Amino acid sequence: MSGAPTRWPAAVALAASLLGLTFAGLSSVDYTKHLDRQIHDVHCSYVPGLGAETSADNACRVAMYSPFAALFRDKYWGGVPIALFAVGSFCFFAAFALYLLLAGRAAPRRAPGFFALVSVTPLLASIVMGTISAVRLGHFCKVCVGIYVASTILAAAAIALFVLDRRATTTTPPVPKIARPPTASADKTLIDDEPYALSAEARAGELRPEGNWLLPLWAAALGLFTVTPALLYVSSLPSYSTYITSCGKLEKAATPADPLIHVSPAGAVQPATLFVDPLCPTCKAFHQRLATEGFLDKLDLTLVLFPLDNECNWMLDRAVHPGSCAVSKAILCSDHRAMQVLEWAYDNQEAILTAAKAAAGPANVRAMIAARYPGLDTCIDSKDTTLRLNKVLRYIVNNKLPVSTPQMFLGDTRLCDEDTDMGLSYTMRKLAPALEVK
Amino acid sequence: MKGSGIVGLSAGCVALIASVFALQGQVEAAGQRLKTGATEEPKQQVAIANDAEAPYCTPAFKQVLQRVLNACGLVGTDSRRGCQPADVKSLASISDDDFNALFTPLKDRGAVIMFDDGSEKLDEAGKKLIEDLWIDRRGARYFFVVARASKTGTPELNRALSHKRANSVHFDIGDKFPDPDLDKQVGMLWLGNEFAQLGPEYCQWNVSRDARKCAAEAINRSAFVSWVDCQL
Repeated sequence: MSGAPTRWPAAVALAASLLGLTFAGLSSVDYTKHLDRQIHDVHCSYVPGLGAETSADNACRVAMYSPFAALFRDKYWGGVPIALFAVGSFCFFAAFALYLLLAGRAAPRRAPGFFALVSVTPLLASIVMGTISAVRLGHFCKVCVGIYVASTILAAAAIALFVLDRRATTTTPPVPKIARPPTASADKTLIDDEPYALSAEARAGELRPEGNWLLPLWAAALGLFTVTPALLYVSSLPSYSTYITSCGKLEKAATPADPLIHVSPAGAVQPATLFVDPLCPTCKAFHQRLATEGFLDKLDLTLVLFPLDNECNWMLDRAVHPGSCAVSKAILCSDHRAMQVLEWAYDNQEAILTAAKAAAGPANVRAMIAARYPGLDTCIDSKDTTLRLNKVLRYIVNNKLPVSTPQMFLGDTRLCDEDTDMGLSYTMRKLAPALEVK
Repeated sequence: MKGSGIVGLSAGCVALIASVFALQGQVEAAGQRLKTGATEEPKQQVAIANDAEAPYCTPAFKQVLQRVLNACGLVGTDSRRGCQPADVKSLASISDDDFNALFTPLKDRGAVIMFDDGSEKLDEAGKKLIEDLWIDRRGARYFFVVARASKTGTPELNRALSHKRANSVHFDIGDKFPDPDLDKQVGMLWLGNEFAQLGPEYCQWNVSRDARKCAAEAINRSAFVSWVDCQL
C-alpha cells in the first residue's frame, strides 16, 4: 500500500483509542449505575466487560469510592467521574487516528505533530492516576490499568507516526526543477519533469498544506469532545437533596453518664457521632475516606464502639468480627490514645481477624494487643471495662439503631449508608456546611 | 484529505454520541431507581439493636413482668418504687406456685442472696454475688429483686423486713455502680411471708451461703436477684 510506513502507527493509535474508549466507557457505566445510591457489580478485569463483582475489596470499587475518581464531588453527588473525560477524549483520538489513517501523507503537515502532542495527555493523566493508585490507594484497578495501557500505546503510536512522517518528509528528494521546454517545440522529445519512481505520495507530500489554521480547530474539537460527556452528565444528574436527610435522627443524645469516647482535634467544627467496629472492613474504609477527604480532623467526634462480636454483644448469635470485643475494650482502656488504638486495629485488621479465627482465638488477639500496647491487660479484664462496654451497647439499644457498622450522625442527622462512599463529600457539605472541603 | 477528514470527524461524532447516549441512559435509569426505590436485589433486613430475648421469656412470664414494670415504677414517670405483696398478688393474677415457676428458668442466670434471721444486712458473700451478677448484665434491660421473709413473725413485720432486704440490694448496687438511671433498671418486689414462698428445693440454686445450711425457713430469708433477658 502506498504510504504504508506512516499508516501503521495511525492504525495502532486507532486501536488503542478504541481500547481506551472501551475501558473508560465501562468505568463510566459502573460509576453512573451507582447514582441510585445502591451497591452494584463493578467491572474489574483486563478483559473489557468481564469480571463484574460486588465484593467490597474489589480494587476497582476501592478506586471508584476514592476521592480521586471524580471531580467536583462536593458539588454533585458522586462528582463528575474522570473516566467521562477519558470517554470524550478517546472518541476524539479515535477520530483523529482514523483521519490520519485514511489521509496518509495527504494530511496537513501539522497533523502528526498535533496528534503526537495531544496524545501524550492521556499518558500524563495515567501516570498521575497510577501514582495516586500506588501511593494513596495501594490498589491498581484493572479497568484503570486498561486505560493506562491504552494511553501508553496511543502516545507511543502517535509519536511514532510523527517521527516517521518527519523522516519521510526529510528523506523525500526534492522535486527537481527542470525547465520545461516550450510546448510549442514540436520537434523536441517530451521529458517527464519528475524523477523516475517519484511516488504519488511524494508528489502529494510536496503539495501537503501546512495546516496551521487547523490547529486551533483541532484543539477546540479535542476540548469539545472531552467535556461534552461530562457536561451532559452533570445536566442530567438527579436531585439528591431530599434523600440525604431521610435516614433518621439520633433519638437520644449522649449524656456525661454514657461512657463514650470523645475525640476533638484542634480544628474540630462539626459535632458528629460515629458508631464503629474496630474489626469491620467497611468501617476501616469509611475511616480512610473521612481522613483522605479531610473531614476527620474537623469533626468533634463522639466515638461509639459497636463490636459485632457475640462475646460481648448480645444482639448477635455469632461473631461477625471475632476478637472485636477485646479490641473494643482495649480502645476504651486507652483514654486519650483511643483513636490511635482504633487506627492500629484498622491497620492490622486482617491479621487480627485471622488470629481471632485461629485455634487460640481470643488469646491470640489479646497477645497482639499486649505486644503493641503493653499495660492494658488489667484494664481490659476489669469489671469496670466490661460494664463500660455494656453501657456503650445499651446506648445503641436506647437509640434503636440498626445492628450494622459504620454509622455516622452529623449533629443528630444520620448520614445514610448510601452516602458514605461516592456521595460522601456532597452529603457532608450539605449536612454540615461548617465543614470546608479540602 | 477532505474526505478523510469528514470520515474521521463523522466517526468521532458517532462514537461520542453513542457513548453519551449510553451513559445518559444509565444516568436516567439510576435516577428512576432512585425515585422509585427499586433495587436489583431485595434489600437485606437489618436487625435493630434491642435488649436480649432469652427462650424463657414466655408470653406468661412477660405479661407478669410487664405488669410489674408498669405498676412498680420502672416504666413511665411514676415515682413509686417497688411492689408489695398485695400489689403482686393482684398484678400477677396467678398462684404462688405459678409465680415461682415463672422464675425457674432464671436458675442459672440469677442467685438467692441470703440474710440472717430478722436482718436486712448484706454479708460479704451476698455483696460479692450481687456484684458479679450485676456485671454479668449482657443484654438485659431489667434487674429484678424479689425479696422475701420467713414465716416467723407477723405479716406486717415480714413485709417491712422484705422491703428492707430489697432496698439493701438496691442500695448496694447504687453504691458500687452509681448510675442516674438505676431506678429504671432495678425492679423490686417484696413479698414478706404472704405470697410465693420458696420451697427447700431452691437451696440448690446459686445461693450466697453454704447450701448445706439452707432449709425451708432460711431460703425465704432472702432476695432472689437476676437480670431478666426479655424484650418488654
